[in-house]
Amino acid sequence: MGNIKTSDVSIEWSSVLEMVHESRIDSVGLNERVSSLATRSIKKDSKLEALNMIVSMCDLTTLEGEDTEGKISQMVAKAIKPNPLDNSVPSVAAVCVYPSLVGIAKEKVQNSNVKVAAVSSYFPSGQVPMESKLLDTKYAIDSGADEIDIVINRKAFLEGDYRKVYDEIVALKEVCQDVHLKTILEVGDLKTYENIRKASLISLAAGSDFIKTSTGKLSVGSSRQACYVMLKSVLDFESETGIKAGIKVAGGIRDAKDAIRYLVMINEEMGSDWLNPELFRFGASSLLDDVLKQIKKLKTGAYQAGYYFPRG
Amino acid sequence: MIDWQYSESIESSDILSIKKKYSNYIGGKFVEPKSKKYINSISPSTEEVLSKVPLSNKQDINSAVNSAREGLEVWSKLTPNQRSRYLFKIARLIQERSREFAVLESLDGGKPIRESRDFDLPQVAANFFYFAGWADKLDLSWATKSLKPYGVVGQIIPWNFPLLMLAWKIAPALATGNTVVLKPAETTPLTALLFAEICEQAGLPSGVVNIVTGDGSTGSLIVNHKDINKIAFTGSTQVGKLIQKSLAGRDVGLTLELGGKAANIVYEDAAIDQAVEGVVNGIFFNQGHVCCAGSRLLLQESIHDQFVKKLEKRMQSLRVGNPLDKNTDIGAINSKEQLDKITSLVNEGVEDGGELFQTQCELPGNGFWFRPTLFTNVQPSYSIAREEIFGPVLTTLTFRTPEEAVEIANNTEYGLSAGVWTEKGSKILWTADRLEAGVVWANTFNKFDPSSPFGGYKESGFGREGGRHGLLSYLKASS
Amino acid sequence: MIDIKKTYKNYVDGKYVRSESGKTYTKELKNEFYELPLTSKKDIRDAVTSSKDGFMKWSSTTPYLRMQILYRLSEMIEGNKESYVELLMDHGLTKQKAIKDIDESIQNIVWFAGLADKWEQMAGNLNPVSEEYFNISHQNPIGVVFSLSGSNISLNDLLMSILPSITVGCSVISYSEENSVLALKFAEDINNSDFPSGSLNILSGKFENVLDDVSKHVEINLVALHKELDNDGLKAIEQNASESVKRVISQPSLEGLSSILPYLETKTVWHPKGT
Repeated sequence: MGNIKTSDVSIEWSSVLEMVHESRIDSVGLNERVSSLATRSIKKDSKLEALNMIVSMCDLTTLEGEDTEGKISQMVAKAIKPNPLDNSVPSVAAVCVYPSLVGIAKEKVQNSNVKVAAVSSYFPSGQVPMESKLLDTKYAIDSGADEIDIVINRKAFLEGDYRKVYDEIVALKEVCQDVHLKTILEVGDLKTYENIRKASLISLAAGSDFIKTSTGKLSVGSSRQACYVMLKSVLDFESETGIKAGIKVAGGIRDAKDAIRYLVMINEEMGSDWLNPELFRFGASSLLDDVLKQIKKLKTGAYQAGYYFPRG
Repeated sequence: MIDWQYSESIESSDILSIKKKYSNYIGGKFVEPKSKKYINSISPSTEEVLSKVPLSNKQDINSAVNSAREGLEVWSKLTPNQRSRYLFKIARLIQERSREFAVLESLDGGKPIRESRDFDLPQVAANFFYFAGWADKLDLSWATKSLKPYGVVGQIIPWNFPLLMLAWKIAPALATGNTVVLKPAETTPLTALLFAEICEQAGLPSGVVNIVTGDGSTGSLIVNHKDINKIAFTGSTQVGKLIQKSLAGRDVGLTLELGGKAANIVYEDAAIDQAVEGVVNGIFFNQGHVCCAGSRLLLQESIHDQFVKKLEKRMQSLRVGNPLDKNTDIGAINSKEQLDKITSLVNEGVEDGGELFQTQCELPGNGFWFRPTLFTNVQPSYSIAREEIFGPVLTTLTFRTPEEAVEIANNTEYGLSAGVWTEKGSKILWTADRLEAGVVWANTFNKFDPSSPFGGYKESGFGREGGRHGLLSYLKASS
Repeated sequence: MIDIKKTYKNYVDGKYVRSESGKTYTKELKNEFYELPLTSKKDIRDAVTSSKDGFMKWSSTTPYLRMQILYRLSEMIEGNKESYVELLMDHGLTKQKAIKDIDESIQNIVWFAGLADKWEQMAGNLNPVSEEYFNISHQNPIGVVFSLSGSNISLNDLLMSILPSITVGCSVISYSEENSVLALKFAEDINNSDFPSGSLNILSGKFENVLDDVSKHVEINLVALHKELDNDGLKAIEQNASESVKRVISQPSLEGLSSILPYLETKTVWHPKGT
């Protein structure tokens, strides 16, 4: 890669290597802990707040070849007012689109709080030369993206070239500057918990503001186990550097119940600081509809049908 | 920011009807005690009296032992396959009524419903299932022909896992062709008496299982009864020694499962986050009322500060409270007496110079409670590092090398269990080989299975419960 | 009165030692007159110290080596068969009985020698636990065993009070009263064998003199009584033993695998199976 300037946030490679080498996880113990966290149940009052919080943490996403201006407009409208009949339901955190659609999305969100995130670096595979990844990212930022979701170089990672993974993220962070950088590990490709931890630490050390589980393009998306590995990495990184990084879980979180389990885990393990869209996000398309149903159900006591809520 | 609260998710106790007064179960019938005396069984989480149970006297024990002797006549004449099927049937009935048992266990003993429901009851059924299958395969169990049942077995069990300890005792005893007189602990007799109903439901021949309640004096009557062939005891080392002494010079078999002060060794190359979880589970499971609890945390010096920081943070998320609340991690201390004992040992630890950390959780008003407690800066000579506390109190010691870890771990009269945490395979095997402990949990802690033998070295007792080895506790090698 | 022909000493820590008390007692056989050490309390303590050390050495030798050392012992007894037969006859046994006793002794040593590297496969096993764990139960020798030999004049009986425990790696303090002459002669073969010092200590005397010390000594892990004691003796031993939860076995079964089981502590090790 040659000439990369180390930014303020990124951590020296030698200390990254040290942390990466100390990635030791016992999978059976981890699974047991995660399933025991799933047995917590929360109060009804807290539940409504939790559901609204989930909405506010959602990155409403469309990442398809068939995406059009019309589709983006629909989605942004839903992002701003997820339930037009209930103003107490907050806006989602962001909409997430391909770089070529950032301009349109940006235009539609106008003055709302909804941010525009772009997936870049040749999402989802990332299998292009670095120059292309930089260009892809620069294009998204120039189009007005508030947040950038990149993918790590899994080829390099699985070949053991951790340095390359790190250098690429550092370079992309250089392009981003103050634009929020979310780095996708694609845990379904990494397979083992130790790999997830290594990739988390490398990404954090390279200056990522968020680490994110998945692209949503694999059959294996997020899991609470993967999220647990990532949150432990974030906490250890914080205790080393004082930097609080965020986590985004995406792919496979279909219902409100599952999302609440994530929040319970974040609350138990990280504390309430992380119960905040600045530090925790859900990448979602179908999740939001279930959360909206559950909110209405809590308020009315009746189970809801999908057609009460607008398409996104 | 939301005020994040877990709901009180209370397991309903409607399923259960607790009688005002219980009787002993002798010769297949519920019989009132000849002593005419009763003791109260209270709920340690509310101090409310749940019921009263017989304080059995000599006459009561006589009739229980006589009935077990008569039961032996019937039981020994059945085919092994018939005995096996009775045990299978009991196992199935327990599964069917497990919610009822779980609620009663949590009410009477104070343990969280999450544990009684997800651990105790499934394990109880599993024990009966496991030993059911041995009943007709004893000839295949050990390559020796000289093993015969003892006959009438007296069994005295503790209050920490009331029904599970009953299962650990009764299932292998019956599978090997013995009959039993069992005395549950004074503070937790109710699930044993409910189990008597299961025996009735299963149509178990009368006299095969006899359940008598009472206090220490009742236990002593069983031990000293002249027609008992074997005693199986789980409880404190102090009482175990008294029992061994009482049986001196008598041709009575004995197995003892006594106290412990297990070392939980964490090496610097452990998977730290899982080790923290294992250490928490090792000492706070069942309020620390566990004889194999990992009560001595042995930390390699290089990771001491980091580990303690993570541990303290994790402890803060433990929820102490109503045992019937599904969100409760730590329930009530079993009795006032036990609470006083824990309190006084902890005070002694502070006076000795140990550094005390306790979590900030709120405790309920009534009942017996103790905060999760961690001591650091402890010297091996302190009583908190030597004596079994039997409560949610963890003591931290440090070591520099594997040799030193093993030396500290073995520097105790106990030898029940130990834990080892490292991701290095050869170090696990090296350490496990040198630990004087009947159970070694490597990269895990407090795991149990009916097929896995459990029992101690040294003053933690003798004999094993569970597994193929557990059969030997109820079979006598005749010369 | 015949002349004292032979003086035997205790065999402790690989050496022949007099009783520290200097006391002896005499035993008159048909042809010879023996002076034997009268073991004192201090001698017991010394023997335990040596046995603790011997246990470390013996239990850490490989099963393969223990097997060979035991087999070598059978060869030595075979080589000394005549002198054993003579000694047994001096005790009053017929030649036929004496020969039979030595033959049985050799058979049993060979049997246990072959068991030394196999018992772990018979006494231990993997346990099929329900979760994702590897779980194995295996055995450790219990430690220092004090074995009171029986009163029969028989090398085989003496050996059967030693072989089961020593085969599994325990160190043994063998104590004889009636059998002392035979036991101390046997010590000579042990001395010439490859048993590490302290793994087998052989003492002679009156058990009642040391009963209290033996049963109270915390570093003796198990007391095996191969001799029928009166009830008071047994009771005293078991009462003392209870102070440290010491194992006491009386007239244990010597049949097959049962013979070694009392000398084993079962250790069960769990480990998760994961990635």
